[in-house]
Amino acid sequence: MVIQLPDIPPENILRPPGEIKIETKNLDMYYGNFQALKSVTIAVPSRRITALIGPSGCGKSSFLRCLNRMNDVIAEARVDGQVLLDGRDIYSDDTDVVQLRRRVGMVFQRPNPFPMSIYDNVAYGPRLHTTARGTELNEIVERSLRAAALWNEVKDKLHQSAMELSGGQQQRLCIARVLAVEPEVVLMDEPCSALDPTATFRIEELMTELMENYTIVIVTHNMYQASRVSQYTGFFLSGELIEYNRTEQIFENPADKRTDDYVRGRFG
Amino acid sequence: MRRIRQSFEEQMEKLEQRLLEMGAFVEDMLEKAVRALSEHDVELAREVIGADDTADDMDLEIEQHCMRLLALQQPMSKDLRIIGTVMKVIADVERNGDYSVDIARTAIKLADVAYFKPLVDIPKMADLVRGMLRQALDALVDHDLQLVRQVITEDEQVDQMWDRLRKEIEEIMQEHPEVVPQAASLLLVARYLERIADHTVNVAERVNYMETGELTVLAPSHGSDYDASGPQDQAGEAQ
Repeated sequence: MVIQLPDIPPENILRPPGEIKIETKNLDMYYGNFQALKSVTIAVPSRRITALIGPSGCGKSSFLRCLNRMNDVIAEARVDGQVLLDGRDIYSDDTDVVQLRRRVGMVFQRPNPFPMSIYDNVAYGPRLHTTARGTELNEIVERSLRAAALWNEVKDKLHQSAMELSGGQQQRLCIARVLAVEPEVVLMDEPCSALDPTATFRIEELMTELMENYTIVIVTHNMYQASRVSQYTGFFLSGELIEYNRTEQIFENPADKRTDDYVRGRFG
Repeated sequence: MRRIRQSFEEQMEKLEQRLLEMGAFVEDMLEKAVRALSEHDVELAREVIGADDTADDMDLEIEQHCMRLLALQQPMSKDLRIIGTVMKVIADVERNGDYSVDIARTAIKLADVAYFKPLVDIPKMADLVRGMLRQALDALVDHDLQLVRQVITEDEQVDQMWDRLRKEIEEIMQEHPEVVPQAASLLLVARYLERIADHTVNVAERVNYMETGELTVLAPSHGSDYDASGPQDQAGEAQ
């Protein structure tokens, strides 16, 4: 099979200054015979928010799921190329996938708390990955809930069911659950699409706070959200990374006409 | 690819249309003001003064239109730059309307005064300046950077005309003290025209930003050496 490599001018794919946390090189991904990603090369900066935008089916979520090997669970999914986390290829044979997903956590579109108490939701990961119990575990739960800006709302009902929380609170709980295992990277796949505007702004504010300590990659359909929260934005189309640059550049003066059409909503 | 924001695009077209209308309106004010001055036509001058309220209303209406598009449509990329540009240039266009009113007031003041020489250079300068304003706004709606460069070039011509005219009027004032009052007024009119050209350069520079995304000063030395060497006049204004 002859693979048509995308014709993207290299200057349209920025390499951000400073420390790079994740880097993909010529990343291809297939679902059976369908090529979902075409030679994606991108450098994700450490402790910044990188947003991935593009129309439905453009490959942005598939790309995100490559970053912690979530696609492994799909039988016909296949990946070529490299995904480097701190310079080490996460698709190498010696990668411990469980450890990888601890380092690279994920928040999903719909809040998915476990049907257990608020406390147990947050303690779930540390109980699995660490020996922390008792006071030490309590501290992890409190720290994670504080970091997820949820502590004040739930501190008096930690042992109530997580299912009783509002949608926005449930999503922050899911973020706390990810933070509890001390990840380095947080992947967010449409984290606010099921939330109302107030809950959305809260999560966005939280992301900005989390950026101090974590590298965040967010996939969003809402490009206004991308423009509000991220420092870098990548635009995907038909499996290709068309353009990647500082967010203000993408939204004020993108280099590629396809990006321009998309962010101006002239694209259907 | 199909158009999916048709109503937004129509709103953007309407915005550009309103800006062109405002530009044409102010251009008309300027033309009438200078004609009133040349032909000692007080009625025409009063018409220009009365038109200023309309120009101000157009300015406000376009600004509101821009604010509404920003608030309700969340424009991005070039749409954002177009709206930002329109918001900025209407202030310059409105200011040019104010200068036209200043010229009309001078026309009323000099209505009963016989000019010491026929007015030739001032109408010529006004024609050039009106053409610049039209080109700058055409550049905006036609996305034409060639017209932007033309405006910058013509501004240099206006500056040269202003320098020449100023020296000439100053000499006349020295040689014929009896015409100083009208000469001083005509000197101010020339200065107003030169300032209109500078505001029009601002418009052109914004169009350049709109098209390229780069904020650049295209005509670094707006105006002439007058500010450095000549007397302070009432028309001068901070850029």
